[in-house]
Amino acid sequence: MSTATVATGAGHGLNVSLAICVRGMQRLRARPVLLIPTVVMPVFFVVSFTGAFSSLTRIEGYGTSNIFNWMAPYAALQGAVFAGVGGAMSAADDIENGFFDRLLLTPGSRLPILVGTIGYSAVRSFIPTTGVLLVAALGGLELPGGVPGLVSLYVATAGMAVVFCLMGLTVAYRLRSLRSMMIVQVIGFSSMFLSIGQVPIDFLDGWLHDAARLNPLTNVLRLSRQGFVGEMSWDLTWPGLVALLAMTVVGGLAALRALTRLAP
Amino acid sequence: MTVVIEASGLVRHFGDIVAVDGVDLSIDEGEVFGFLGPNGAGKSTVVRMLTTLLHPTSGSARVGGCDIRTQAGDIRRMIGVALQDAAIDPLMTGSELIRLQAVLHGIPRSVIRRRGPELLERVGLTAAVDRRVGTYSGGMRRRLDLALSLVHEPQILFLDEPTTGLDPTSRQALWAEVRRLNTDLGTTVFLTTQYLEEADQLAGRVAIIDEGRLVREGTPTELKATVGAPTLRVEVDQEHVATTRDVMTGFGEERPSREGRVAIGLSEGAAQVAAVVRALDTAGVTVIHLELDAPSLDDVFAHATGRRLEGSGDEQ
Repeated sequence: MSTATVATGAGHGLNVSLAICVRGMQRLRARPVLLIPTVVMPVFFVVSFTGAFSSLTRIEGYGTSNIFNWMAPYAALQGAVFAGVGGAMSAADDIENGFFDRLLLTPGSRLPILVGTIGYSAVRSFIPTTGVLLVAALGGLELPGGVPGLVSLYVATAGMAVVFCLMGLTVAYRLRSLRSMMIVQVIGFSSMFLSIGQVPIDFLDGWLHDAARLNPLTNVLRLSRQGFVGEMSWDLTWPGLVALLAMTVVGGLAALRALTRLAP
Repeated sequence: MTVVIEASGLVRHFGDIVAVDGVDLSIDEGEVFGFLGPNGAGKSTVVRMLTTLLHPTSGSARVGGCDIRTQAGDIRRMIGVALQDAAIDPLMTGSELIRLQAVLHGIPRSVIRRRGPELLERVGLTAAVDRRVGTYSGGMRRRLDLALSLVHEPQILFLDEPTTGLDPTSRQALWAEVRRLNTDLGTTVFLTTQYLEEADQLAGRVAIIDEGRLVREGTPTELKATVGAPTLRVEVDQEHVATTRDVMTGFGEERPSREGRVAIGLSEGAAQVAAVVRALDTAGVTVIHLELDAPSLDDVFAHATGRRLEGSGDEQ
């Protein structure tokens, strides 16, 4: 008995990942309402926090006197968390409605399924980041770090989306339900609040200071914020990149293990 | 004939629940094999194991000569699967899904540009190809699901309750396509269904599963023959009843019937009906009404399990 001639291997895997990523974007185009939490919430953060704490950055230690420069990267990272969870939610939805079986019936490795989903989340994160920057620009956002600062922000937000997508996928593959994504949203919110999102680390006392110091997202925030609060610096860049890489590796292994358990 | 699906002692537990309990199967290349059973009998679990979506708790199976545990990738290359509740993304269009399915199976773009429209035309969806699947009817979704499962021209096709919830016209159209695939392309079809008529119409061989165990297996004719001969009932004028009885009992033993009718069990099956009618005509008997009550697969199911299958699909 002969088997049908189909391509497999790395090229096929890359095509599968790309197709899954494109499918995610097609779904967004078909139902833009799916973007509301991803875009509206971070934009709301920018508007509300810059309004409520407009005088905060007059205090020495923020590195900028412009509240938009302080808050916009933080809001963009919040949007990236939503984008990451959103990618995982679409996978959880696929598991619930059976579409995921179609992906599992693909010949070859399961890895491209994972890569495609996180790729979609990373691409999706560009939308809230751009939205936040546009709204903040209307309020007077400045970019002292220039284009490298902007690139640094987009790298950080894409990385955050990947990390939270992997976390979401681990939960989705294990619990197989859309509702389980609430867990990841709570983790996302809490870990952002327990970092240097709102105030510099020197302003934090006691356990909040310790939590922010140990929180890897603090480094990611420094990476994303550096182009907006001063000159670009390698000392602020590499810890953020290492934090993102470490979280991606750990999250990736956990998600792949959960996927292999779900569908051997 | 080459055996393309072979299972031996297939068992699957979900916690304390035994969904499949020692299923043995042997399906030849080019067969349409009907897997019949009520809801919750274990049909879909067997399909999920054979299509590599689920590991068996114990037992073994080979599909296309490949082991379901160790050669899952090879199996996925040669099978097409249309699962229960057509797993189709309602936000995508028919053509987007065809393209995605082609990429998933590594079909070159140039090939799918030709094959995609052909497949959609074959299942009658050409006009709806750019519409979102969310706007499709249940029948259209099922047909699209079938087209998707054929994108990589599989040699073995698994159809898990393909016509559940479809109207009679859509059901007939799907049956016609399954027949065409089997006859024209020689595709082996493993079909699960809870509809007796579907198994009877499509399958060359049928296995009946109940509570995770195979209770009967054979051709529909063989299975029906196990529950006895068909009953022929003839209604005649009162004056001809005695003559009719004399003629008909030559073809089988008499069975109870109401006044004005004579009933016999046709010892050699339904093929004797014509001979009975000719004999009655020769004896000068005018037949008012004639009915043949053939044993159905439902009778086979009832005989094997003590319960009726017919209508079980309407309970949910």
